[in-house]
Amino acid sequence: MAHDGTYNHHEEEALGKAYDARLMKRLLKYLRNYRLPVAVAVMLLLVSSLSQIVLVFLVKSAIDDHIMTGVRDGFTLIILVYLGVMVLTFIIQHFQYYLTQWLGQNVQHNIRLQVFRHLQNLHLGFYDKNPVGRLVTRVTNDVDVLNELFSSGVVNIIGDIFMLVLILGAMLYINWQLALITFIVLPLLVIITFVFKIKAREAYRQVRTRLARLNSFLQEHILGIKIVQLFNREKKTFDEFEVVNRDLRGAHFRSIYYYALFFPAVEIISALSVGLLLYYGGIRITDAALTFGELVAFIQLVERFYRPIRDLSEQYNVLQSSMASSERIFKLLDTPPAIVDVRNPENNGDFRGKIEFDKLWFAYNQEDWVLKDISFTVESGRRVAIVGATGAGKSSLISLLYRFYDYQKGSIKIDGVDIKNMPVAELRRHLGLVLQDVFLFSGDYAGNVRLRERNISDEQVRQALNRVGFDRFLDKMPQGIQTGIMERGATLSTGQKQLLSFARALAFDPDILILDEATSSVDTETEKLIQAALDELLKGRTSIVIAHRLSTIEKADNIIVLHHGQIREMGKHNELLKQKGIYYKLYQMQFKRELAQKKIISA
Amino acid sequence: MTDFLSQNRPENGRFGVILKYLKGYKGYLVVGGIAIVMANILILVIPYLTKLVFDLLEKKAPAGEILKYVLAMFGLAILSGIFRFTTRRTIVWMSRHLEYNLRGELVAHLLKLSPSYYDVTRTGDIMARATNDLEAVRKMTGPGIMYITNTVVSLVIAVGFMLYLSPRLTLYSLLPMLVFPYAVNKLGNLVHRKFIKIQEQFSRITATAQENLAGIRVVKAYGQEQNEYDNFSEESQKYIRHNLGMARLQGTLFPLIYFLASALNLLILYFGAQEVWDGKIELGTMVAFFAYLHGLFWPMFAMGWVVSLYQRGTASLDRINRILFTEPIIKNKVEKPYRGKLKGKIEFKNLKFGYNGSAVLDGIDLVIEPSQTVGVVGMTGSGKSTLAGLLARLYLVEDNRLYIDDIDINKWDLSTLRRQLGFVPQEPFLFSDTVAKNILFGAERDDENTLLAAARTAALDKDVRDFPGGYGTIVGERGITLSGGQKQRAAIARALAVSPGILVLDDVTSSVDTETENEIYDRLDENYRTCTRIIISHRVSSVKEADMIIFLEDGRIVEQGGHDELMRLDGRYAELYRSQLLEMEIEKL
Repeated sequence: MAHDGTYNHHEEEALGKAYDARLMKRLLKYLRNYRLPVAVAVMLLLVSSLSQIVLVFLVKSAIDDHIMTGVRDGFTLIILVYLGVMVLTFIIQHFQYYLTQWLGQNVQHNIRLQVFRHLQNLHLGFYDKNPVGRLVTRVTNDVDVLNELFSSGVVNIIGDIFMLVLILGAMLYINWQLALITFIVLPLLVIITFVFKIKAREAYRQVRTRLARLNSFLQEHILGIKIVQLFNREKKTFDEFEVVNRDLRGAHFRSIYYYALFFPAVEIISALSVGLLLYYGGIRITDAALTFGELVAFIQLVERFYRPIRDLSEQYNVLQSSMASSERIFKLLDTPPAIVDVRNPENNGDFRGKIEFDKLWFAYNQEDWVLKDISFTVESGRRVAIVGATGAGKSSLISLLYRFYDYQKGSIKIDGVDIKNMPVAELRRHLGLVLQDVFLFSGDYAGNVRLRERNISDEQVRQALNRVGFDRFLDKMPQGIQTGIMERGATLSTGQKQLLSFARALAFDPDILILDEATSSVDTETEKLIQAALDELLKGRTSIVIAHRLSTIEKADNIIVLHHGQIREMGKHNELLKQKGIYYKLYQMQFKRELAQKKIISA
Repeated sequence: MTDFLSQNRPENGRFGVILKYLKGYKGYLVVGGIAIVMANILILVIPYLTKLVFDLLEKKAPAGEILKYVLAMFGLAILSGIFRFTTRRTIVWMSRHLEYNLRGELVAHLLKLSPSYYDVTRTGDIMARATNDLEAVRKMTGPGIMYITNTVVSLVIAVGFMLYLSPRLTLYSLLPMLVFPYAVNKLGNLVHRKFIKIQEQFSRITATAQENLAGIRVVKAYGQEQNEYDNFSEESQKYIRHNLGMARLQGTLFPLIYFLASALNLLILYFGAQEVWDGKIELGTMVAFFAYLHGLFWPMFAMGWVVSLYQRGTASLDRINRILFTEPIIKNKVEKPYRGKLKGKIEFKNLKFGYNGSAVLDGIDLVIEPSQTVGVVGMTGSGKSTLAGLLARLYLVEDNRLYIDDIDINKWDLSTLRRQLGFVPQEPFLFSDTVAKNILFGAERDDENTLLAAARTAALDKDVRDFPGGYGTIVGERGITLSGGQKQRAAIARALAVSPGILVLDDVTSSVDTETENEIYDRLDENYRTCTRIIISHRVSSVKEADMIIFLEDGRIVEQGGHDELMRLDGRYAELYRSQLLEMEIEKL
């Protein structure tokens, strides 16, 4: 499953085990370049844990050697040392915290970029199968989860365990009998904490699902509010909402219940342990086997015991979700790009732009041929129009030239070199693509023309826009080419979008232009603009055009009629019309209306 | 349960909506309050007992004596635990009730607000208020009340004990604690602001990735992979920087907390020692002080936090109130609105209508008799949809301009009118529910006969039978996706299931082929003969058979009459008809 490039729908919800050695090993590799910071962070953590124990011993010594004995000499020293350790701990903890965060952030950044880079390299076939929303989650949320693992997880687990060991060690060192008595209670604390964490997380998950349900109910009914009101459904809708709302409240109640039980339980356990200490410690004090200072130190150690336990139970959750996230990320990273450069790519040096399709066969799924035995040649500087009904294979044909997909049989050659033997980037640099569906990015006009190509100056952007006649729109905008465009160009008309995509192609000045003409109708005014822009765009360029406009077809040097994946007719407009074959029928169907409309307009 | 009909008013003040429901939860508040006091008293006796144990130990008292105290401590802890449980079980519990009530009130009000409100308000905005703002208000009322009460109570009790044990030590150790709430509030707000910044940058990363991946074809075609990578890397870098800024702040905040805790211990140690040497207190008092300050530490922090909760909570409450205080524009205006059966007569009397000052309809005069079919044609923007919306009272009309059954539309009872009106809007919005539920959405009789009759008339029945679950199939995101034509037909069926007296079809067959469209109109003639039908369309073929056709242009009726009549007139309508006829002929080739 890892290599077929598709992802299972239910994986998002699945939460597996908290530890997987294979995944963990691979994750830890990301720390390879950060050995020193990791070592320093761990060391700082150990020192800060140790210093907390030192404070306890200072209190013990202050009580036993000074307060109880009345010896004032040296007491000030203890106070000063205490103060010094405090300040030192503060500084160490600050750097330790920052360092671990820095580590987590850097690793997160690296993984995020690695995933993004990999996505840039993946072939289009992969994108056909995987919804964009899910891939975005890989780059964003999944990586964020890993950040937690690296910034707080790895280092803190070591720190927490070390802290627990230190506390237990200190207890045993002070008085092993008393330590053993304390150990009767402490496991209880561990168990309760872990059980609580698991239960609370379950409850939390339920709250989240119900909240999601409530939100989608609300969102949907706000969007459809007119329908609700028109059909007099306000009361009924409200009643339905009450059910969802009540369900959510119920889930919250369950989670309150766990919290309400847990916090008092911890308080009771800590009272129990202090009570036990006082009783058994008291007996030992009367026997002179324990000092007051030691008893106070014990009480303070018990108080410090709880935090690492709580943190560790937190880490369990972090581990669990990062295993799930890393599995998804690795699965994506393990999907190899299908379109890659050959080892020793050929360079065709002097580029002329002659395109040859030779006995080409192609299928998206094996043997289900979309293109069959396609052969034709486009001489340098010539224009070829491809016509055919929907589903004839026109779009596939141009996708192949771009090497968005690899064909199975035959070849496509540019200037005699098989495109499979050319570096992909080199191939695409010579090509310019204009698609029916114009994709616009949020940003400004300039950014949509030059994309992120810094070599294309503002002046070149302006020129390109002028050449397609976009200046008439731009002139009305005070900010010119820096005027903002909404996501997907929501505020632009279809015609404007097309003109923009023409300008984009012009700005990149490709040797070969691939154009998929838009079918959607625009008003006459815009149509004239588009016609003019098309002429400007195609002038003197080798081009392959999937044509929907009669004028474009008439000007073509060669027309290829594609039918069910095969070339059925080829030639010039008038020749093909005389054949009275498929082209003639298509012409009747598609272009007669255009002619009729022209007559109406001119009349 | 939240009262659907209740409405909150500005004169009840900012907290009006909360107080209204809070009254019903007095019991919770009283019990919760008592529980907080009891829990604190009980738990704070323990350090005092500890002191007594230490005193006994210094006197080398027998073990049995000590055991009594220890057992007492344990008993107190358990009792206090029960009260702590009760506190959360009542006060936090209550806050969830309150959240539920407020959300109900908000939604009930949203359901009543008029379409014009939704025309100018973004859904995301409303959603944010119903979720984030509501949560902020809840935190202010539940945990807010709980923590502030807890802090005050434990402070009073602990300070009482401490003063009793040693006034001087109390003074020394407590003074520094007073800055806690202030510092926590300031730093907390700082953290909050930084957190918002981080969230924003995260959204930017998401948006960048989203756009890049959605436009991957363009990216690859123009060889922008490396540039896209560089850009993304920059965004990611910014995110890292924001996060590290936060790390610097929290890296100060967290160690500071432990620093302060140790500092308190140090103060007690230092001043306590002096007192012990002076013979003013015993070691046990010092130990008790350790415990008291340990116990006060978090409540003092919580106090600063509560202030932040209050600040955010009230700001959110104001945002929620802004919705609650918005009056629905469309509602019953007269005391005794008309509640009769709809016969279907419609009369416009010199009707003018516009949005924000610009006229959309101007001087409309028209009488439509019951069971007539009227076709409305005209270009985009000529006012066709507005005309339809006015009939359903989606927008406010002046008095005495529009009459339904000879009664001013503003004097009709809103729900009586809408219940008898079948409306099919241009956008066929369906809910992600079963086909049956969608069709029977507004039907009074939601039986199978109504369902099938409506679906058959709308030519949907055959399609539905092919669905995996028939009429039980869920449509939309969670189920199957309907084609544009299927959606439109489902919307028609939904309107028919109401058994309407007036049926308004607002350009509803644009994605339905001509043949099916004709089938629908034929069945309408057959099964809904008595219903007045208003058919708005782009296509002349849809309205050709109507009793009367009106041609709208710039909000005015420019032509009116039957098809033949208008053809004879040889004006706008005839021109449109001819050009569409030509188009159809070409289509058939």
